[in-house]
Amino acid sequence: MSIELGGVLSSMIAGYSEWLVIELSGIFSDLTNLKKRVSLPYLLTGILFTYVIFYLRYRATAIERLKPLFTLTLWTNRSARSDYGLWILNRLILPFIYPKLITKLTLITFLMYQLGRVELFEVSLALSDWQVMTLFSVSYFLLDDFSRFYTHRLMHWWPFLWQFHRVHHSATVLTPFTVLRTHPIEGVLFYLRSLAVQSVLVSTFIILFPGQVSLFMVMGVFASTFVFNLLGANLRHSPIPLSYGSKIEKWIISPAQHQLHHSRDKAHYDCNFGVVLAIWDRLFSSWAKGSDSQKLLYGTGTSLDQSHVVMLYVEPFISLARSGVSSLRRLIKHR
Amino acid sequence: MKKTIIAAFIGLSAVSLQAQTYEFGVTLKKYEGDSNSSVSYGGQIARHALHNSLKVLTKKPDAEKMQAYFSGSDAGRLIIDPVSKDGFAIKQTKIDQLSSGKNLASSAYKGVITGWPGNLTGKETLEQMVAMAAKTKSGYDPVNGYDYIQLISKFTMGAVFYNKAVNHYLDELLEADVKPNDKAYKDGVAYTGKEHVWDEAFGYFGAPAHSMNLTAKDVVQITKRNPEYFTKADVNGDGVVDLKSEMAFAYAYYAASIDASSDTNYFHTIVQAFLDGRELISNANAEKLSSSEREALKNYANIIAEEWQKVIAEAAFKYAGSVYSDLEKIAIIEESHGDVKKAYRSYIKHWGELKGFALALEAAGRELGEAQVQLDRLIGFSPVLFGDAQVVAANGKGGYVQAPTITMQEYKVNMIKVQNVLASQFGLSARLKDKTAGLDKVLNQLNTGSSAEND
Repeated sequence: MSIELGGVLSSMIAGYSEWLVIELSGIFSDLTNLKKRVSLPYLLTGILFTYVIFYLRYRATAIERLKPLFTLTLWTNRSARSDYGLWILNRLILPFIYPKLITKLTLITFLMYQLGRVELFEVSLALSDWQVMTLFSVSYFLLDDFSRFYTHRLMHWWPFLWQFHRVHHSATVLTPFTVLRTHPIEGVLFYLRSLAVQSVLVSTFIILFPGQVSLFMVMGVFASTFVFNLLGANLRHSPIPLSYGSKIEKWIISPAQHQLHHSRDKAHYDCNFGVVLAIWDRLFSSWAKGSDSQKLLYGTGTSLDQSHVVMLYVEPFISLARSGVSSLRRLIKHR
Repeated sequence: MKKTIIAAFIGLSAVSLQAQTYEFGVTLKKYEGDSNSSVSYGGQIARHALHNSLKVLTKKPDAEKMQAYFSGSDAGRLIIDPVSKDGFAIKQTKIDQLSSGKNLASSAYKGVITGWPGNLTGKETLEQMVAMAAKTKSGYDPVNGYDYIQLISKFTMGAVFYNKAVNHYLDELLEADVKPNDKAYKDGVAYTGKEHVWDEAFGYFGAPAHSMNLTAKDVVQITKRNPEYFTKADVNGDGVVDLKSEMAFAYAYYAASIDASSDTNYFHTIVQAFLDGRELISNANAEKLSSSEREALKNYANIIAEEWQKVIAEAAFKYAGSVYSDLEKIAIIEESHGDVKKAYRSYIKHWGELKGFALALEAAGRELGEAQVQLDRLIGFSPVLFGDAQVVAANGKGGYVQAPTITMQEYKVNMIKVQNVLASQFGLSARLKDKTAGLDKVLNQLNTGSSAEND
């Protein structure tokens, strides 16, 4: 009996360790996959791009301004270590959650069916492949960017969602890997956002332009994502404030502007929710300009900033439960 | 000088011609017979003729006659298809002239088929289909939506030909300790163990020996016995087409027909791999194959198995497109209160082909993973019938149970999903009758993998 149990256990352990190895090796593939922001080529080109700008602006002190990136403590401090922890643990947790959610194919074919019912099939627009590709790419870029902005804004404005998004803001030091400091509940929200945007857009386009729909791709990556990452998206989460200058910053969010968004200073709260375009922030009056010489402190200013990585997963739930109980009490008292 | 160049050219073309035809000499050292060929796959061609004949018989079913071709082994069975016609004479008229005592049932897949009601094995599924077909007038059951002519034919191809070739001959029989190359396959024959194993797989594919000299279109027309292509088929010029080496059957026909309507090259890729593998075995000169030779041989076997699987998936893809179009037509006719009888018949026929090919994919013990479940569920046990019902189970008494499921128009959307699953699982490129409108391509472009990037 005990031998049998031992056999079962050892085969279970073998099975799990194989799975673990596969998932963990996926973490390293993030570092080379051009679809991921933290891939090494983007880190390198981002630094290069920033250096060129700084050199044009400050000549001799350009290198000095980049130095904070090359200190050991940036990459090994407590906050950075939590980033890595969340990155790795999410890699192991999310594969269990995503398959439980509705798939893109299911939603798209459902929408196509619904759109087909309203006779959208009858509308046939004669556009060339290039025109369709341009229209689809631009539409996707705009809708994707706006929906990211709006979801992000919701996560700050709606207390329930803020409980989870707070984990991202609890980083006291920003490194490119802070982009992966995400609570899984947020991860699910991001998934649903992209599901909604892609499904609506793809099903509409496929019905209007069957067989013609595709994106502008560069090296297997959507062109705008590629350019965005190539030109220093990684600097957004970094100790290097890089402003694009007030003219460009009205249109495109710079790393310095995103760092302002992370600032612990109350004066900077709820600004610059945008990812690529700054126009959404201007429309919703949350736009603020950045500066190469800004000096900021990051974090939420709460005990969460010093929490252990496990607590970063658990704390939002505890917090929600507490506020649930206290509002229940208030309700009872009022009666 | 000129003469030597010409001679060199002739010599070269002779060398390349040799590798271009499925003809190989005897290598066995102890062979004492008078044959100068080591190629033999008459048993497989006999089964092709049984399959073709069974398909014709299903159109006017007679239980006894169908069984004779499906599971019988009696002598004297006539070849019902393919037979001679004006301008296209065929050498053999009886099954026994190809090989005696053969049938289809005993070679059918013994594993379970999840896509057919009743939890049956491949063999039992075919037996049930043949029995049910015999109860119909013309192989057509409008009540359950079954076209047995198509179902039996398409699934036999999978459960017998594809299964035996890919799951048996090109799989376990390539191992070192079975049917070795340094011994005769059996006493007195002109071929070694491995030579014959390879030939049997080739026979099941159903391509003519001189396939490399034919275009995909030629192969399609030869299968259709088009008199204009007779001389292309009758390569030895004896005035008759020899079914054993000059005719095309089953998957060879489907591979060629897909290639003929797209820019794929399935047919010649598969035949070339068969030729290369067979050449490797012949070159071993009746010695045991070394482990590196067997590795190389397994590589050829892999090419064959994968391309063959793609051919089946491409065919299923195409018929999913046909089913989609049929459902569109039915909706239009219904709207104008027209007679849907003809459109419904074509819907059931195309569904039978789709289902037959989809079941064939399951019938060779190859791991299909999630795709198998998806295909089973999306296609269902029957087409969606009028009244929005489908066969959902077998009733245990040889009949089927129907229940309301989805509407015909929802089922139409399933066909897009089927095409998506097939295209992404098997990496299809011909994609005939594509109704996905490029959906899987866009989805692939949009896919960024599973990790949560914050803003």
